[in-house]
Amino acid sequence: MKKSNPNRLGWILISPSLLILGIAGLFPFFYVIYVGTHSWNVFSKERGKVFVGIQNYRDLVFDNVFLGTLSRTLIFSFLVVTIELILGFILALSLMRDFKGKTFFRTIYVLPVVVAPIAVGATWRLMMAQGHGPIPYFLNKFFGWEFNTGASTTQAWIAIVLMDVWHWTPFVTLTLLAGLLAIPKEPIEAASVDGANRVQMYRYLILPMLLPVILITVFIRVMDSLRSMEDVYMLTNGGPGSSTTFVGLHIFRTVFAKQEYGYGSSMSLMVLYFTIVICWLLFNALTGKNSKSKI
Amino acid sequence: MLNIRNRRSLALASVISSLALVLSACSSSSDSGSASGDDAWFATAADKLECKGKTIKGVTENTPPGQYVKSDIIPAFEKATGMKVDLETTSWDEMYSKAINDMEAKTGIYDFVYIEQDIIYQYLKNNYLANISKTIADNADLKAPSFDFTKFTSFIDNFKDANGDVFGVPMEAFVKVYLYRTDLFNDPAIKDSFKAKYKRDLVPATNYKEYKEIADFFTEYGKGKDLWGTTVQAVTGHPASFYELFESILPTNGVYNWGINNGKATSANGGSMDSKAAKDAFAFWVGLLKDAPPESKQSTWTEVGTTFAAGRAAQGWVYGENVAWIATDEAKSKVVGKVGVALPPLGNPKVLDDSKSGKGYLGYYDGGAFGVPATSKNINCSILFQEYQGQESVQAKWAAAGSRIVMESTYDDPIVQEMDTKTNGYYTFMKEEGPLFRGAPPYPFHTAVREVVAPFIYDAIAGKISTSDALDKAAKAADAEMKKLGY
Repeated sequence: MKKSNPNRLGWILISPSLLILGIAGLFPFFYVIYVGTHSWNVFSKERGKVFVGIQNYRDLVFDNVFLGTLSRTLIFSFLVVTIELILGFILALSLMRDFKGKTFFRTIYVLPVVVAPIAVGATWRLMMAQGHGPIPYFLNKFFGWEFNTGASTTQAWIAIVLMDVWHWTPFVTLTLLAGLLAIPKEPIEAASVDGANRVQMYRYLILPMLLPVILITVFIRVMDSLRSMEDVYMLTNGGPGSSTTFVGLHIFRTVFAKQEYGYGSSMSLMVLYFTIVICWLLFNALTGKNSKSKI
Repeated sequence: MLNIRNRRSLALASVISSLALVLSACSSSSDSGSASGDDAWFATAADKLECKGKTIKGVTENTPPGQYVKSDIIPAFEKATGMKVDLETTSWDEMYSKAINDMEAKTGIYDFVYIEQDIIYQYLKNNYLANISKTIADNADLKAPSFDFTKFTSFIDNFKDANGDVFGVPMEAFVKVYLYRTDLFNDPAIKDSFKAKYKRDLVPATNYKEYKEIADFFTEYGKGKDLWGTTVQAVTGHPASFYELFESILPTNGVYNWGINNGKATSANGGSMDSKAAKDAFAFWVGLLKDAPPESKQSTWTEVGTTFAAGRAAQGWVYGENVAWIATDEAKSKVVGKVGVALPPLGNPKVLDDSKSGKGYLGYYDGGAFGVPATSKNINCSILFQEYQGQESVQAKWAAAGSRIVMESTYDDPIVQEMDTKTNGYYTFMKEEGPLFRGAPPYPFHTAVREVVAPFIYDAIAGKISTSDALDKAAKAADAEMKKLGY
C-alpha cells in the first residue's frame, strides 16, 4: 500500500492560512509597491495613475518635510524605547519578588496594554485639554505651571513620551518578567556560591541570558514606535506647528487629506526600509555579532 | 434563592419597565414624524421605484445641521417610505477621506455624501457625482411635487455645473459671523471703564484696531474670571486654522480667493498670498492669540463654538451653524440670551465697498449639500431622500436647530422668526448681510493647495517662523503645487 506523502498533507493543512496571508498580507504589499511607482493624485489635472518609476523615491530623498518627520520619529522612538526598557526592567525585577497586593497591582498595571491607541490618545487629550483637563488645572493650581500642549513644543513632547511610556511599559515589563522567570536558578546559585556580587551576576549571567528576550522586546517596540500615529494624532494632532508630526501621521495626511496615493505609498515603503535597517543595526549592536550570527 | 414574594415583585417590576420601554419607544416614534412633508407621495414613489425595504448609506459631518438630519429627518423619511437610511455623522476630515476614497475607488459604499461648497469643483472635475436634476427630469416617478429646485436661495448655484445641472441638494448654509457678548458690551460699569481707557464707546469693532483694543480690554478685565478678549481658531495640525485665516481674516484686508490669481499665489507671479495686505492681516490675527483662551491653539470651529458657549471669550469669529445652540440651549451654553451678531471688523475700509459691488467679500459664506455618488447602487432611492430633505416643509425646524437657511421662504416661518429674536437677529443678519459674504473660490486644487500651505501657517502660529516668512514660503509652495498638478 502506498503511504501518503506527509509533506503534501502539511501543505494542504496550511494552505487556508497561506491563502488568507496572501490575500490580506502579500497582495496589499505588492499593490503598495505598484502604486509607489506611480504619480496618483486625485486632485491633479490629469486623472488616474501615471507611471513615474522611481521618481517618487528620488523626490523623497530631497523632501525636507518627510525627512523632518522621519528624524523626529527616530528621536521619539529612541526616547520611548530606552525609557520603557529601563522602567520595564526595574518593574519586572520588582514583580519577581513577593509583596502584598502583587496580583492586584499586576492586573491594574497591565491594563493600558489592552487599550487601543486611539482611545489612549483621546483619554490623554481629555486629561490635558485646556479649560477642562485635570492635568493643566492641577499643575497650575499647585505649582503655578502653565501646561499647554497646544502652545509649547517641549510640553507636547513630554506629553506624548509620557503617554507612550504609560501605554507600553507594561508590555515591556511582562515580556522581561517572562524572560526572568525562565532563567534557570542553578547558574545563579553557583555564581553566588563562587562569591559573585549582585552587579557581576547581572552583568555576566542574568543580562546575557535575558538578551534574546530583550532583543525581541526592543524590536517590537522599535517597530511599533516608528509607526506611531493614532495616539499622537488624537493628543497633539502633530502640533504645535509640526513639532510632533511623526512620519506615520505625515503619511496619513499625504494619503488621506492630500489624496496623493502614489507619493504616500513610496513613503510607506521607505519607512519600512528604514525599519528593517534599524532593526538590523540594533541586532548587531546588541549581540555584538554580524547578521549571520544566531542568538 | 428568591422566595415567591420576591419573584412576584421582580416579575411586576419587569412588566412595568417593559411597558415603560414600549411607551417611550412609541413616544419617540411619534416625535420622529415631526419632519414630515408630502409623506403620501414619498410612500408611493418608494414603492414604484422599488426602494421600499432598501437601505441607503450616507456620510456627513457631525454638526448641528447633520445631527438634525439624523435625529429628525431620517426617522420621518423612514416612517414614510419604509426605507432605511444609515447616516454616519463623523468628523470633518474623516468624512472627506471616507467619501473621496469611496468615489475614487468606485466601491459604491455611499449613496449620498456631504459636499461642502468648497470641494464641489474637485468632485465635478473628477465626475464623482450623479446629475440629480437630469435624473429627476428623466424619470417622472422621481419628481416629488413638494420638491422644487427654484425654492432654494442662490446658494444652490454652487452645486451646478456649467450647463446649470444640479449635483447637490443644499442642506445647510450660514455665515461665519462676528459674535460678541451683549451682557458684557452693555454692562454700564464695563462701558464706563472702557470709555475711560480708550476714549470711545464700547461697541462691536469695525476695524482691526478697535477689535484688538476690545480684546486687550476684556483679557485684562477677565483675569481671574476665566474670560478672554477673543476666540481664535488657531489649531495647528488641522486645516481649521488655515480656513479661518484664508476665508475669514485675509478677505477683511482685501486679500480675496486665498490670494491666488490665475493659478498663481506669489506676488511675483500675479498673486497676493505673500502681499503686504496678507501679511498685515496674518500678523493681526496671530497677535490676537495673546488675548485668546489657552485652548485656542487646539481649537477647530467646534472648540471655538464651545469656548464661546462656555463664556470664555468676549467676542470672536464663530461659524453660524453654532449660533442657535450657543444663544438658546441652556443645557449646553452659559451665554444664552447674551449673544449679539455683527459684521466682522475690517483691516481695509474699501473691503465693504468691494463686498457691496461684488468685487470682494468680507467673510465666509459656508454651507454644503448632499450629493449622490455616481458609483451609488441606489441612485434613484438616494435622490428620493434628497428630495425629502429638500422640501420646504422640513426647513424651519431644521433652521432653528442648526442655524442654517437654504430657502428664502424659511426666513418668514414663525419658528425661525422666534429664533431670530432669541439670537438677537442672527437670521435677519444672514438674510440682509449674507450677500456681503462668499464661499470658497472655485478651485479644483483646493485640498492640494491647502495641504501644502497649511504647515507654514501652523509653524507661524507655533512661533517657529514669522508670519511674513510663513506667507512667503506658503505662496512659493502653492505655486509649485499648482504647477505640479498641472494648473
